[in-house]
This record gives sequence, C-alpha cells and structure tokens, in this order.
Amino acid sequence: MSDHSERLWQIFTDSFLPLLHAGVAFTVPLTLISFVLGLLLALVTALVRLSDIPVLSWIARFYVWIIRGTPLIVQLFIIFYGLPSLGILINAFPAAVIGFTLSVGAYGSEIIRAAIISIPRGQWEAAYSLGQTRLQALRRIILPQAARVSVPPLSNSFISLVKDTSLAATVTVIELFAKGQQIVAATYEPMLIYCEVALIYLILCTVLAVLQRRLERYYERFDVR
Amino acid sequence: MAMIEVRGLTKTFGEVAVLKGIDLTLERGSVLVIIGPSGSGKSTLLRCLNVLETPSSGTIAIGNAGIAFAGGTRVRQADVLQLRRQSGMVFQAYHLFPHMTALQNVMEGQITSLRRPKEEARERAMRLLAKVGLETRADSYPHQLSGGQQQRVGIARAMSIDPQLLLFDEPTSALDPELVREVLKVIRELAQEGRTMIVVTHEMKFAREVADRIILIDEGVIVEEGPPEQLFGSPKQERTRQFLSRIMGD
Ligand SMILES: Nc1ncnc2c1ncn2[C@@H]1O[C@H](COP(=O)(O)OP(=O)(O)OP(=O)(O)O)[C@@H](O)[C@H]1O
Ligand SMILES: [Mg+2]
Repeated sequence: MSDHSERLWQIFTDSFLPLLHAGVAFTVPLTLISFVLGLLLALVTALVRLSDIPVLSWIARFYVWIIRGTPLIVQLFIIFYGLPSLGILINAFPAAVIGFTLSVGAYGSEIIRAAIISIPRGQWEAAYSLGQTRLQALRRIILPQAARVSVPPLSNSFISLVKDTSLAATVTVIELFAKGQQIVAATYEPMLIYCEVALIYLILCTVLAVLQRRLERYYERFDVR
Repeated sequence: MAMIEVRGLTKTFGEVAVLKGIDLTLERGSVLVIIGPSGSGKSTLLRCLNVLETPSSGTIAIGNAGIAFAGGTRVRQADVLQLRRQSGMVFQAYHLFPHMTALQNVMEGQITSLRRPKEEARERAMRLLAKVGLETRADSYPHQLSGGQQQRVGIARAMSIDPQLLLFDEPTSALDPELVREVLKVIRELAQEGRTMIVVTHEMKFAREVADRIILIDEGVIVEEGPPEQLFGSPKQERTRQFLSRIMGD
C-alpha cells in the first residue's frame, strides 16, 4: 500500500469511532426525543383541529401554517440565536429538540389528521351504537386503525428526521455531521470524512428501516378497508 | 306498558324533511318489519332510534330510557348514551372493527360501555358467538371471514350489550345470495326466542315469516300498518299495492 492510501485508511479508522460516538450520543437521542415529543404534539394538534373548538383549532392551524411555510434551519436559528435577544436563553441541544419537535408536530399532525379522517364513518357509528363515548370510540376504535394507516408516512418522517438532525450542527450541537466538520478541519480530507459521515447516516437509517418494516408487519395483522 | 314508544318523530336534513311524524308502539317480544321504497326514510328511522341521528322533534322511549327532542335544544349526552344502550344495531355493511378479532368485537361494548370484567365479557362473547354458529371462528379477524360470517358477528356484537331491542338495517342486502340464508336463519331464531326486534328488509318472504307486524313507509310517513297477512294479502292503501306489485314483480 502506498503511503497516501495508508494515511487515508488510518484517518478513516481513527475517525470512525468518534463519528459513531457523535451519532449514538447526539444524532440518535436528538432524533428519538424529538420524534416522540413531536408525535404527541402531532396527535394533540390533529385532535384539536378535528374538534372544531374555535380558538384552539385556530391556534393549531396557525402553528401548522407557520412551521410548514418556513425553512427548518430558519426556525432553528430563531430559537437558538433569536430568542436570546428576548431574554430567552436555551442551550443548543434543547433548542434543537424544540425545533425538531415543532417540525414533527406540524407535519405529523397533517398525517394523523388525514388518517383519522380516512377511517369510515361506520366505524364511529358502530362504536357509538355499542354505547361508547366519543373519547372511547376515538381511543379504542379510531386511533388504532388510524395508527396503522399512518405508520408508512410517519416512518418516512422519522427517517427524514434522522437526516434533518444534521441541521443541529448549525446551532452548535456536535452531532454526527458537526463532528465530521471538526475532523475535516483537522485532517483536510473532506472527501473521505464526509463519505464516512454519509456511511454512518446510511447505517442508522438502514437499521431504522428494518425496525419500520417490523412495525408495519405488526399492523398488517389486520386489514383496514 | 309498551317497550317502545315513538311519538311525532321528525327528521330534517337541511331543508329536506325525511321523517314527517312517525308514531310507533312495540310490545316486548314482538317483531316489527319495516318495508318501503328506497329513500323513504327507513334507515333514518332506525338511526334515530339508535340516536346515530338526532331527531328534529318527537319523543323516543325505549325500556326505561327516553328523550324528548325539540329542534335546537341540546340533548344531554348522558341521556343519549342511556337511550342508545337500549338498542343494538346491526348494520347493512356490518361495520365490524377490523383491528379486533370476532371475539374482541363482541367483548368491546361489554368492557367499555357496560364495564364488565374481561373474563365475564369473554365468556358471554363466546356464548353469543356460539349462538350465531361461530364459536370456532372467535380468533379470526373480520377480513378472514365471509360476508355472512361477518354479519353474524355483527349480530352477536349488537346483542353483546344486552339491549332491550335489536335493530336490523337491511342485514342481508350486502351479501351474496348464497350467504343470505345463514344470516336470516339466525335472525329467525332470535325472533322465535322472543327478542324484540325492528327489521328493515327487502326480503318479503322473510318479512312475512318473522313479522308480527309490518309497516310500510313512504316519503317519511307510515302509509300502512298491520299484520303480515293483511298487509300482503289485502292492503288497504293504493300506495301499498303499488309498492308490493313493484317489489314482487322483480
Ligand atoms: N346525512 C344525510 N344528509 C342529507 N340527507 C340524507 C342523509 N341521510 C339520509 N338522507 C336522505 O334521506 C332520505 C332517506 O334516506 P334513508 O337512507 O333513510 O332511506 P332508506 O329508506 O333507508 O332507503 P334505502 O332503501 O335505499 O336504504 C334520502 O333521500 C336520503 O338522501
Ligand atoms: Mg336504508
């Protein structure tokens, strides 16, 4: 092996663990926390929008409109760099979590809302005719079916989120991509390192896609017409 | 006292009056069959009895629950639930819960609305499934069952909340002809057991057989009412004659 390729291999192996560590310590938690919180927010937003409670549903629509109509990176900058000028200081990691949660909440609420609407009216009526309340019908009959309908689109959001968390680098979270940038600054090997970063994202997403497949198969045990 | 008393029931959708003052009385243990042309308001009437539609005016009393409806005034949700639980509805398109097995479908109402312990609910559900001949399919999901089997689960589910009254809205009209019989057989047995039932159907032979009384609805009013022999044999109203000749003709 030539000196040059030996050096590249050395850099590759030296940087693999630090990069993987940044992925596991920051990218993965950032993704998981934001996604779980975002789903809760999405569910509440979807239900509020479907409820037709005047002021609340107006707020929900306004929120979705803002988040969907502005770039995620701008939202992150407002939260991390903008809010301090109003005296609201949020650390980098929680700021990123807030930004991603709001994003998942807005896009996810549209997915969940569409899924709930897609469940035939007869399902509500069958639940009511058994004497269930609106809340019981929603929780036991409608949401389980809506969950199945929304698993594929929500999984897509989830995998997008894994990659979108690289934007956290712009608000000083040293996650996988930011770690890559640091290593590039030290080694001057952008091609090698960014490909390595890409490889680790690929590994993370592939593992998640396998989990997604399992979840879908679990939901396929029944058939929603 | 009659088990079901309906007085002056009306239902209007927007500008369209679909039910124009329905009066009904039904004794415990008797079977009422409703016939009438498409769009005459038969489904709407059943749905009002189950409060899936809120009547515009009139009163409904079933068992010891009752509501007086008056356009605009809100009905209390607790009253709605109470009235609803008096009747079990069998839908034309079954509307089984696809994410639950046959057994779970029949347990669901017992657990959530009657708050029965799971074990007791399971036992009763199994008995109901046996009654409709499906004890061996308890663990099947609806999509694994034929239309006739699904509708029989639908009947077991409707009975699961121990209703005073069973409502059937064209229970066989979504079924292939060869599956109609098994469902009618179950309904016939329920009639013989002395269940109180209201059945909307286009199966005239079946109507004649199970009904204690038949009413013909057209354009939201009861045109004629009587025992099957009289209504089929010597109808009093011209409109009844027309309807019967049209439906027997095809
Ligand atoms: N939710 C609704 N909104 C507006 N109009 C309705 C609604 N439900 C029913 N209608 C109208 O009320 C009339 C009666 O309908 P209904 O379903 O009760 O008839 P039906 O006698 O059951 O007919 P079929 O034999 O075809 O089932 C129809 O003209 C129908 O279009
Ligand atoms: Mg109908």
